[in-house]
Amino acid sequence: MQPQLKSKVRCADRDVGEVTKVIMDPLSFEVSHIVVSMNGASERQVPMGAVQTVMDDLVQLRSSSSEVLALPPFKRDDYVTLHEIEVPGLEKHIDVTPGEVLVPLPELERNVKRRKFFANLTYVMGLFIGLPLVYPVLKYVMKPMFAPFDNQWQKIGNVGKIKADDTGTQFEFKHKVKEAYLPEAEIEKNVWIVKATPAVLEKVYQGKDMEFRDATGKTLWTNKKDIPFIAFSGKCPHLGCGYKWRKHKVLGPVFLCPCHVSIYDASGKVIEGPAPRPLDVLPIQVTESGEVQIIDMEFKAGTRVQSRMV
Amino acid sequence: MSQTPSAGTQLTVAEKVFDFVDERVGLRLLTAKMLNEAVPGGSRWAYVFGSILLFIFIMQAVTGVLLMLYYVPTADHAYASTQYILHDVDYGWFLLSYHFWGSTAMVVCVFAHMSQVFLWGAYKKPRELIWLVGLLLFALVMGFGFTGYLLPWDQRAYWATTVGVEIMDKTPLIGDFLARLLKGGATPGQMTLSRFFVIHVMVLPAALIGLAGLHLFLFRCAGPGGPFRGTPQELKAKTDYFFPRQIWKDVVGMAVVFASICAMAFWEPVVLLEEATPDPGDYHPEPEWYFLFLFQHLRLKMFSGEFGQFLGAIAFPSLLGALLIALPFIDRSPERNIFKRPIALTLWVLFMVSILIFTVSAIINREFLD
Repeated sequence: MQPQLKSKVRCADRDVGEVTKVIMDPLSFEVSHIVVSMNGASERQVPMGAVQTVMDDLVQLRSSSSEVLALPPFKRDDYVTLHEIEVPGLEKHIDVTPGEVLVPLPELERNVKRRKFFANLTYVMGLFIGLPLVYPVLKYVMKPMFAPFDNQWQKIGNVGKIKADDTGTQFEFKHKVKEAYLPEAEIEKNVWIVKATPAVLEKVYQGKDMEFRDATGKTLWTNKKDIPFIAFSGKCPHLGCGYKWRKHKVLGPVFLCPCHVSIYDASGKVIEGPAPRPLDVLPIQVTESGEVQIIDMEFKAGTRVQSRMV
Repeated sequence: MSQTPSAGTQLTVAEKVFDFVDERVGLRLLTAKMLNEAVPGGSRWAYVFGSILLFIFIMQAVTGVLLMLYYVPTADHAYASTQYILHDVDYGWFLLSYHFWGSTAMVVCVFAHMSQVFLWGAYKKPRELIWLVGLLLFALVMGFGFTGYLLPWDQRAYWATTVGVEIMDKTPLIGDFLARLLKGGATPGQMTLSRFFVIHVMVLPAALIGLAGLHLFLFRCAGPGGPFRGTPQELKAKTDYFFPRQIWKDVVGMAVVFASICAMAFWEPVVLLEEATPDPGDYHPEPEWYFLFLFQHLRLKMFSGEFGQFLGAIAFPSLLGALLIALPFIDRSPERNIFKRPIALTLWVLFMVSILIFTVSAIINREFLD
């Protein structure tokens, strides 16, 4: 039977107090000591070897009360409770009423200085490992993020397919792309071409030629203000969906984006809906025979000012 | 059992194995601790959603792994391999459709789960941390939906990603970087597919398993909230353990959800559109039905222009998120009864009504676009 917490402790000569704590040996799973409160005074740690008999509510010691009093006071700091540490299997061997159940703090763990230093050292080691990785990892994931612009002219068809002035005609074409290690692939894209009357042309160019520059600021191409063919990027400047040339019940024929219902007139101007800027005009060349070439540019959607993405 | 085992008692093999494990890891105690969780006020059908979400996730993981046996995450094979799963692999259509409808069920049940916690006032002290981790889990579920949507590489997939990433791009300062990081370039392509794939099958599941574990751990630390009516004595008198009554209800709930997902997979199996291309053709981009209200509100006049778009796409949803995060710290009154919390009830009703209105108006709007 294990000594019960709170049971009376009787020495050879008289009662000295009660059991306040029980100390377990983490290896043998036996109770190694009892802690006795000396009638409210300081506590003494008494080895089980000094115990003669254990009864339900009484622990009888062999020693005399003066011998127990002569023991050094119990040092709480040398122990941890079972709540703070898990000793596998120990709990099964405990048969004392609730209270603190202790195991000794190992000799090497007592009076360790600089605990905080060691704790901080682990953080420093973490940074030592982590920080040098930040830049390489960032560069690694960023590799494809900022590809140079493709300023090649793309052949997209013949203006002969345009049926009427100031109406949108979709030109589908295949744009060759080379992505990372992959073989060159063709992706389907589209632009809208409008053969504009002078009034619409004026709305687009506002009396000025339109210049296109590359990333370094060098002029790539200039759309002359009197060339009647206008190419619009197929990407809606609102959130990047594909818009269409549609008959609107009230507004008549318009460019309409089915996503968030931005509506543009033949000059690309926003006449209704959430779009923040007109349709994006692209560099265009039309040969004598009517073959159209464009530079396939894409601009960031959702911004008032154009900012080129592709 | 009060009998002590006699010497003649023969243990079955299963019992011996159980005892063997029990002796080493304390299985009996562990099982007891798991199952003997007191449910204040007793088990209820209303408490099934947490277990159901766990069940849905496990099924998504199982069907997801099976889909990966054939699916190839490359721009030139993703569409074909998905079509192969749908049309050639035995029961491929069923597994893919189950995975698709499972994700819908996940969103619906997350929504129900969060609404309950809100209405029951179960986010209040001492359960603030469970609520916060729950919000993270909600974000992960949204992330699963967003990344998974691209994988079949059809028109629907391509345009949902295009618009979704453009919205992210509107985040001040880091938006452009974030959008390019996700896309792996300026426009959606192979790099986007690779990134979405690894996020969908590796990053998010790992995060979800960890956070769901934390969610449960925190839940077990604080214990269930129980009903908001009744004195402590009444609740104590009705209290039972998680096992068997609540588990029984949970299992029935799972069976109902499983049957519903199967039924949807049979009636509305997944059908792909054309293969993804930056030319939308006749396709009108539209998100899943549970995102329609978000999609529709971006069509509003007040959210037009660059600043309006920032308000509608970034500021407004972020504010809502911030409010949800701050909720347990703003609403500190211990009152949990929803009928004594008029502001909370009004907000919830307003939110539901506006979702309903925006969703219905998005559906009505469809007719005017063809």
